[in-house]
Amino acid sequence: MERAGYLAWLKEAANSPLFALAQRPVGAGLRLGPPDADIPLDGIREHRLTVDGAMVVIEGPTEKQQGSRNRSFQLGNYTVYLSSTPSGPVVTVFGQPAGKQPPGYYPYDPSLVFIGPMLPPERPGKVRVLGADGLEIDATEAGSVLVPLGGQTRLRVLRIPLGGGEESELEIFFRDGSNGDGSYPAGRFVSLIPAGDRKFRLDFNLARNPFCAYSSVYACPLPWRGNVLSTPVRAGERYAGGGLEAPPVNQETK
Amino acid sequence: MMLALLLQGAVTLTAVASPAGPWRAVLELAGGALPFRLHIDPVGNGWRGELCNGGRCEPFSSVRMKGDSVLLEIADYDATLTALVRADSLLGYYHNVGSNGPRTIPFRAARGAWPVTAASNRLVGRWDATYFQEGETSPRVFELRNAPTGFEGSMISSTADYGPFAGTVTADSFAIGLFDGSFVYLLTGKLQGDTLRGIFHAGLRTQTPWTAVRSTGAPHLRSPTEITSGDTTEPLRYAFPDLQGRIVRNDHARLKGKVVLLDIFGSWCPTCHQATPELMRLYRRYHPRGLEVVGLAFEATGDTAVDARQVRRYRDKFGIPFLLLLAGTNDTESLAAALPQLRNLSAFPTAVFLGRDGRVRRVHAGFHGLAAGPQHARRVREFEREIERLLAEKRER
Repeated sequence: MERAGYLAWLKEAANSPLFALAQRPVGAGLRLGPPDADIPLDGIREHRLTVDGAMVVIEGPTEKQQGSRNRSFQLGNYTVYLSSTPSGPVVTVFGQPAGKQPPGYYPYDPSLVFIGPMLPPERPGKVRVLGADGLEIDATEAGSVLVPLGGQTRLRVLRIPLGGGEESELEIFFRDGSNGDGSYPAGRFVSLIPAGDRKFRLDFNLARNPFCAYSSVYACPLPWRGNVLSTPVRAGERYAGGGLEAPPVNQETK
Repeated sequence: MMLALLLQGAVTLTAVASPAGPWRAVLELAGGALPFRLHIDPVGNGWRGELCNGGRCEPFSSVRMKGDSVLLEIADYDATLTALVRADSLLGYYHNVGSNGPRTIPFRAARGAWPVTAASNRLVGRWDATYFQEGETSPRVFELRNAPTGFEGSMISSTADYGPFAGTVTADSFAIGLFDGSFVYLLTGKLQGDTLRGIFHAGLRTQTPWTAVRSTGAPHLRSPTEITSGDTTEPLRYAFPDLQGRIVRNDHARLKGKVVLLDIFGSWCPTCHQATPELMRLYRRYHPRGLEVVGLAFEATGDTAVDARQVRRYRDKFGIPFLLLLAGTNDTESLAAALPQLRNLSAFPTAVFLGRDGRVRRVHAGFHGLAAGPQHARRVREFEREIERLLAEKRER
């Protein structure tokens, strides 16, 4: 169900990364619309997007829209989303949800499900990384797990906060031998699932692409230090082409 | 002949099982099953139902059949329980959507009621708990009790009580849950000597270990006025759209010279649902003397149309007479960007008291509802005293 629900969201949601057309930091302001604008949009006359504190203003030749950040605005057939990040607001523009299909999954492979303890973090504390949506997020070093693939490979785990309440996810961003050969070249995310008795379940069948796999408008997260499996992991979400090229292997999060 | 019978069997329609009746339900979290109750009744040509945690029940906003499945909608939180109906079971999932994808949790139910269990005196009472996550600790208070509907508990943090958890107890172990369509919380614990140890489960996968000892009566939680602070040197500036899209600023004519209580809330936040009737009572009592209440909604999806619809539902559910503004989404960056003059703003709801000059006088993080008992009554009195004090201040000339 988890995979089916995620695929349905990719196919149908107005803010599905499959339908993203542009993503840019707002900075001092952006021009939207004409071919020479910061974000060209077919059929849209020139609009100016600015952010003043908590307020977003999109002003066109005949109308002005104002609203708070982290909201959507309609511009013709386009949906404009403003997101807050620790480094400032970022705009993402989505087109009509049509015509694109998510890449789907490898057949379920029960041999790529592991269970075991999580080791304490080498360097405890907060770390700023890019989330699956290419936006900065303040995560917490949660620890690491040892996976019996390609010998014993240590995979680093971060705790990613979810909006509101007391929820968070333990996430691993990893690369493996299938990257560029059936799976996304830049690596994939997979959640670490608590399994009781201080053990955790790592099911590579639930591995999913960063949003940059669906559209080159998203920034791709850099590989997390050390999280490379030399063997191919032919499980989880496939790659259907498009998106960004993989970042260089020797780059890491700080 | 046999072939004909087989063919006949293959095309015979089968009756769809009825969803009517009481159900003992669980959400299948990664670390255990979160128990709750459902009750579905036929009404006219349709259905109605309610979702219960212990003795507290809330009606579903709609119950309908689609083929052989039942759809139970919780409109307050834009959430749905969808389940295949069998003669003696429901099998499906709970679903709602955030800004980064769906939140889906497996759900099942069996006909009948949960057994009523009672705890010994060794478990019942007030416990000071400490949560541990990645080397950091945070305090909670548990109040465990035997109720007519079974074993119950409250979990109180420095900023909120989460309403009644309900479930079962076996000897020295317990598992109590709270599911209201938004909060998905399960508290499991076991008494070992004089110490309770367990796991707090939030959502599908978050698990936080805790230990607890008997409360001595000494304060264990942080004061809600210590958590968030504000710049008191100049008026608090804000400007957000109302539900018609008109921008309302802090110096709006309706607010000028008034004592203002800013309610930082979200329609997705059950504790905010508990706090709103209290805010409405304060508004009715003090508005004639110069109090304005302004609700600043920080919503879940960032989709203006969806979030505005949820806040309208929230307004209509309570009949809220005061201003409601769409202020942002429920993440720390959005909160900080929307109200940069407030520091460490993280609790939902948070009440910000502004004097007639528009400056911050007090920030109260969280809300303790009726489940918190004396704490609730004390907070209400504190709110009333603060409003009385601010109303008595003279206007600046």
